[in-house]
Amino acid sequence: MAKKKRRKEWTWTLIALIPTVLIIMPLYFIAIGGFQTVAEIFHRPPYWFPPHPTLAFYKSALVTLAPYLKNSLIIALGNLVLTLAVALPSAFALAKFRLKWGKATFFLLAFSQMLPATAVIIPLFLIFNNFALINNYLSAILGIGIFTIPFATIILRAYMQAIPTGLVEAAFIDGASLLHVFRSIIIPLSSPAIATAGILTLIMGWGDFIVSLSFLKDQAMQPMSIGLYNFIGQYGVQWNKLMAGSMIFAVPPLVVALLAGKSIVAGLTAGAFKE
Amino acid sequence: MRLSPWKSYLFLVPALVYVGVFGVYPLAYNFLLSLKDVTLITYIGGTSQWTGFANYVETLQDPVFQRTLTNTLIFTGLSLLFQFIIGFLLALLFNRSFPLKGLLQSLIMVPWVLPIIVSGSFFRWFFSDRGMVNGFLLSWGLIEKPIPWITSQQWPIFSVTMANIWLGIPFNFVLLYTGLRGIPLELFESADIDGANWWQRVFFITIPLLRPVIITTLTLGCIFTVKVFDLVWIITQGGPGDVSHLLSTLSYSLAFNKFHFGRASAVLVIMLVLITGLTMLLNSIRAEEEGSLG
Repeated sequence: MAKKKRRKEWTWTLIALIPTVLIIMPLYFIAIGGFQTVAEIFHRPPYWFPPHPTLAFYKSALVTLAPYLKNSLIIALGNLVLTLAVALPSAFALAKFRLKWGKATFFLLAFSQMLPATAVIIPLFLIFNNFALINNYLSAILGIGIFTIPFATIILRAYMQAIPTGLVEAAFIDGASLLHVFRSIIIPLSSPAIATAGILTLIMGWGDFIVSLSFLKDQAMQPMSIGLYNFIGQYGVQWNKLMAGSMIFAVPPLVVALLAGKSIVAGLTAGAFKE
Repeated sequence: MRLSPWKSYLFLVPALVYVGVFGVYPLAYNFLLSLKDVTLITYIGGTSQWTGFANYVETLQDPVFQRTLTNTLIFTGLSLLFQFIIGFLLALLFNRSFPLKGLLQSLIMVPWVLPIIVSGSFFRWFFSDRGMVNGFLLSWGLIEKPIPWITSQQWPIFSVTMANIWLGIPFNFVLLYTGLRGIPLELFESADIDGANWWQRVFFITIPLLRPVIITTLTLGCIFTVKVFDLVWIITQGGPGDVSHLLSTLSYSLAFNKFHFGRASAVLVIMLVLITGLTMLLNSIRAEEEGSLG
């Protein structure tokens, strides 16, 4: 009986495998694209496996993209620091205090999440241009922040609301300062949410395209996403390098996502079901 | 909470300052720009003139804008419909236990965590004239000659819509799946015992109970889809010509390719009005829904 039930369960695994494979198919074709020459990439019918796999394009993509790696790291990490520095205190205030401005701030944050990227980036470009911030890492970090900060604040706030208020009140009665409560109670107790928000912020900062494309015109400042976009040249696309480089660029977020699958799902839903 | 209320305001300051300076101010600036004749020359020279609503008039009369508006509606409508149906079916499928479920679930999230330049590049290749779609269709004998998926007048908007549907599946799946987990299993079981078939269970139990989650999913999906930019920019840049623009890519192209910042801002303001309108409309549906339930 148990054996029969077990077999029935595996049948469902097989059924669920079909849509899953279809969904991740693009990733597979990007991965094998990097092992093929352009002629093979465009072979008809398309190859399911690279007929003469070569590492040459992965190597040359790596060499071309190496200088962009530093920029990607600076931007993604800088954005992470900025996002947490702004999101943590405000999430604390929004979660634990009834403030006159609390509702308005939360509304503003939720509203910024709805904003189209272009509506912020086009005016910001002119504003940053006035302050000579174009081609500066800071412009990209600040620009990506408008998408990551509201998102992170909403996740953190949802989690902090669940921390028992009695705990915070008891600390105040014992004479703890607000800063002390924030540092010694709220932050340690929120560490799972900080990890989730941090991972999602890193993934968003790493994958950013539009902000860097608009603000970092100098090739020496550009992150890997724009380095890859540069393979789509004016006179033709370097397809095999684009595929190989894409795969290299996609690995860090993919690894993180597979390791932290559950918390990513938790973060997505916390961001969606607010209030 | 009673203690130190004024000090707790200090904790809001970073967020307020940030959103004020990098969110609200650019939006206001946008509105000002839309009322001026701002091009690269007038901007650098500091000679931009106030032109009232000229940018809006010009925009609304522009055939490219009219086509873009239609494109945005097609793109949003079809994306929402198919993302939702696929996400819902996946959620139903995963709402039972089977081996390797956790792993498969993580894999379904791949479109969401894949950097947009990667998925965009893939679809650019996938839909190109010599690309995979045509490669398979031709070699299977389903078509006689390649379909110009991203190089013709009529196909590109549908091609980028298909790419966006793929991109939106994880979001719909996760929200609906989380919602489904909240419905007690006994309800399905008792319906099963009463002899309800699969369709009856879905339509008479799952969907009614899931209504609030469904409305939230569609609302957020709608707002996120109207503003999609990167994907379309990477696959077609709004081209060939201007046939596959969305409001977002049209504004970007007006600003950074044609350096016509005033008109770009007018398009953005129209887009913001559209998004605000949609949000309000969907919110009122949601409020009505909650009212009728409560």
